[in-house]
Amino acid sequence: MSRINDVGGMIGFPDIVEEPDEPAFHADWEAHVLALNAALIRRGVYNLDEFRDAIERMPPASYLSASYYEKWFTAITTLLAEKGVATPEELAGA
Amino acid sequence: MPDRFVPGDPVRAGTCDPTGHTRLPRYVRGAVGQVAEVAGHHPLADDRARGLPGTVQAVYHVRFAAVDLFGAGDHTVTVELWEDYLEPTTDHQDKEAP
Amino acid sequence: MSGDHSSAAIAERVRHVEALLEERGLLDDGEIDRRIDEFLAGGSPANGARITAHAWVDADFRERLLADANAAIRELGLSMAGGLQEQRLKVVANTASEHHVVVCTLCSCYPIALLGPSPAWYKSEAYRSRVVRDPRGVLREFGLELPADTRITVWDASAESRYMVVPRRPEGTEGMSEAELAGLVTRKGLIGTAAV
Repeated sequence: MSRINDVGGMIGFPDIVEEPDEPAFHADWEAHVLALNAALIRRGVYNLDEFRDAIERMPPASYLSASYYEKWFTAITTLLAEKGVATPEELAGA
Repeated sequence: MPDRFVPGDPVRAGTCDPTGHTRLPRYVRGAVGQVAEVAGHHPLADDRARGLPGTVQAVYHVRFAAVDLFGAGDHTVTVELWEDYLEPTTDHQDKEAP
Repeated sequence: MSGDHSSAAIAERVRHVEALLEERGLLDDGEIDRRIDEFLAGGSPANGARITAHAWVDADFRERLLADANAAIRELGLSMAGGLQEQRLKVVANTASEHHVVVCTLCSCYPIALLGPSPAWYKSEAYRSRVVRDPRGVLREFGLELPADTRITVWDASAESRYMVVPRRPEGTEGMSEAELAGLVTRKGLIGTAAV
């Protein structure tokens, strides 16, 4: 039933935590991931819904333990491999 | 193609459970709500997520009573749903209209 | 957080992918930095606050805003057209009898042009899962206790529209200028998790 992103109405997640004076990004790489995604969508490598889909396809345990921009980076590399831009090995730097 | 629904229409959210991307949240599936407003016309996200152009169709704000979604609660939830996700219904809501 | 081992490892992987894409002609020189600057300059809660303050002092504008938000915010020089295509904006206004709150249960849709980058709590599974089911309880956690007879409407940004809440104008602000009024409005007020 449904993918792990579809959490509306679910029970059991922890308390909502507010971060005072939260910065837009918690590390430089997060900003780079955001910009990278925008660049690839603008170039038509994939579209925004394919990007959402790639996030949602993450295994549930990985989805829940990953930070927001870790999910994004996972989706970007998944799509780059699937679209044939680079092999998983090239993307991993192997 | 003209819009299938107009504001005020009762509609039932689909019960389908697609394996791919969808914007039909599971917490509204099968529930009856009321169309509040047409929220533009857009290609179906389920199609676009598979790299297809997608058929352009109406998207609606559909208002549900929380009690119809969760069995409890005095609030309403307005969800934005593509026409394909909705079917007409004659079910009368005996509660107050949301 | 930015200095820990896992963050350093992912930073290295991101740099590697960027270099690979530059090599394959999918990224221009300096494009990443330019896009980051654009994003950070692109939106801020000050925009939502301006819209709100104007709606408080101009009843006709408020009406136009609730009927066709995209057209109304253009009167203030603002727009939802900064992204790939113009996004539809739906603005809802709190009243004495009704309170609105916005969520995206499926992902993290948010009116960045008017509110800037979204806070982490908005994107958390905790908020996304619970606010549709128990908004009164969630608002209480945020320190907002609504009267029992206030109706609550939750808006799930599940498709193409983006949503903004116009909070209620606080009492005792009659003598304030529009700019002073805008200064009272918070990001949480514009999402619906604070009174103003």
